[in-house]
Amino acid sequence: MNSSSIYRPAGFDFSNEIRNNFLHEKGLPLPGATSTGTTIVGCLFKDGIVLGADTRATEGPIVADKNCEKIHYITESIRCCGAGTAADTEFTTALISSNMEMHALQTGRKPRVVTAMTMLKQMLHRYQGHIGAALVLGGVDITGPQLFTIHPHGSTDKLPYVTMGSGSLAAMAMFESSWKPNMEREEALTLVKAAIAAGIFNDLGSGSNVDACIITATGTEMLRNVEMPNQRVQKERDYKFRRGTTAWRKEDIRQLIVQEHTKPVGGDEMDTS
Amino acid sequence: MENSFALVGKGYLIVAADTTAARSIVKMKSDQDKIKALSPHLLMTYSGEPGDTLQFAEFVERNIRLYQIRNLYPLRPSAAASWIRRSLAESLRSRHPYSVNLLLGGYDIASDDPHLYWIDYLGTLSEVPFAAHGYGAYFALSLLDRYHDPNATLEEGLATLKRCIDEVSKRLVVSPDKYKVKVVDKDGIRDVEL
Amino acid sequence: MSIMSHNGGSVIAMVGKDCVAIASDLRLGNEAMGISSNFQRIFPVSDRIYLGLPGLATDVATLREKFRFRVNMYTIKEEREIKPETFAHLVSSTLYEHRFGPYFIEPVMAGISKTPTGGVKPFIAATDLIGCLNFAKDFVVAGTASDKLYGVAEGLWEPDLEPEDLFETISQTLLNAVDRDAFSGWGALVHVITKDKVITRTLKGRMD
Repeated sequence: MNSSSIYRPAGFDFSNEIRNNFLHEKGLPLPGATSTGTTIVGCLFKDGIVLGADTRATEGPIVADKNCEKIHYITESIRCCGAGTAADTEFTTALISSNMEMHALQTGRKPRVVTAMTMLKQMLHRYQGHIGAALVLGGVDITGPQLFTIHPHGSTDKLPYVTMGSGSLAAMAMFESSWKPNMEREEALTLVKAAIAAGIFNDLGSGSNVDACIITATGTEMLRNVEMPNQRVQKERDYKFRRGTTAWRKEDIRQLIVQEHTKPVGGDEMDTS
Repeated sequence: MENSFALVGKGYLIVAADTTAARSIVKMKSDQDKIKALSPHLLMTYSGEPGDTLQFAEFVERNIRLYQIRNLYPLRPSAAASWIRRSLAESLRSRHPYSVNLLLGGYDIASDDPHLYWIDYLGTLSEVPFAAHGYGAYFALSLLDRYHDPNATLEEGLATLKRCIDEVSKRLVVSPDKYKVKVVDKDGIRDVEL
Repeated sequence: MSIMSHNGGSVIAMVGKDCVAIASDLRLGNEAMGISSNFQRIFPVSDRIYLGLPGLATDVATLREKFRFRVNMYTIKEEREIKPETFAHLVSSTLYEHRFGPYFIEPVMAGISKTPTGGVKPFIAATDLIGCLNFAKDFVVAGTASDKLYGVAEGLWEPDLEPEDLFETISQTLLNAVDRDAFSGWGALVHVITKDKVITRTLKGRMD
């Protein structure tokens, strides 16, 4: 009776594994997890880092979320863009963010980007690629601006401009043609926006809006939906149904506000004068 | 092939299961009772992997008996159904899962009404007015859709069941020839000859 | 044939003006054979939170038990009702715990929470089978008819629907989508959650 225990051990629970393999052997294919076809980028400039991401989440050919957030919080001055299996990027970054906070409290110092990078790569390598998180990690610490990519198997790169996800090729094309060292802040932001836009318009797995995040030594600026090139136009008419359109056979109304009536029984009312 | 049917009527529940014990293509026996009485007002048909079926049915029977001994009153049908479902769902997560499909029927003496539950080896549980397992289900369910009446008398209920059994005998290639029929109502469980 | 469509079934949730609605079909199947036309897959979690569990029926029951246990434990420990946002994270982390051996369920939840100013905030969310949360502002769908539901809901949904209008929109969306899905249908159930009451209606639907 695993479920009756209140205190669960940390980590993954493999109790369904045998059953799921058994069902798989019976010829039922196991469904794949939601994957985010994505364009995420990061770019170094004079004073810091600009991270960028699109906002589309997909389930196979279906757009599951038109405006999701792919730039995850690690610490105040470190952020991480996620591509790959959506749940993995979400939970991996949340876990590392938590550990980074603990680390900061323990050491009493502002944590470094390499620390987050090492934690992430060690965790992903431990899981041998089964945690499908492809990340772009960027931030500013005591050693200056840092930018990394981390692959699902745990390998990392340190580069001045990086792209990941299914739109990485389109985005990289923009960087290759326009990136130069020591750009100004606005210049770098424009380039990141252009790179994400290239992913949004040329890669089917990416779409909707542009999110960006500018991290410098003086502070972090999260620019949620900084560009919205795919706003849905106002509908000219609506499809509101006339009330009573849908036939129903049974109705049950659960009142959440308890009505209470007090009725004095017998005798005179209390003299309150 | 194994078939079992069940239906609820006004104040009673009818359960039927074939009586053949087969191994591969050979019929070993034709008088096996595949309906187990779990408590004075609870019945269960079991079909599936030979060996697993009886083993699991006896496991359930003993546990339900144990509950009654410990608590002085038996599990109500809905509670028994939940417990059996849970057992199957947990078994499915073990190295050797029970491959058993069940129809659980009982008369709830507390609320004075019959209940029927369709349960499969995955641990799927659903309360239904009528149910079937096996290839016979493909014939029986459509007949029951047409002829089942929750307010029918026992005679009418048995006539509906007979329709199902006759249809299966007539149209199913691998149909069993004999069925055991049991009824549970407020007076308990009894065998019925069709 | 995938495990996700073994038993069939679909759920949808929509946001309205100070209200939310969650609806599902009632079919339980065994592959193509219909077993039940009254299979509940939406459960109340608290007065103002409802949870829909489309997917493999055995896991519907198992997860329902698990969530009831965990919500009860939360309520006892914290001595307060769980908020919809918190419950969504509870669902998400429970499913992610089973990342490598998942439950075959894609939960959909709907609820309303009270704001400090005394108003109400509608809330809907859905996750995939390993717990990736999707907080939508309009509608969320899941189940075997999900692709059809996406299409119909995208066309019919509009902002700020009153409870009665939201009922019509969600009902028509669900009924028309499940009519184009072989594994969903056989009746439908709609819950509309408002500030002071929950309206539950059983719809008339096609039985084929």
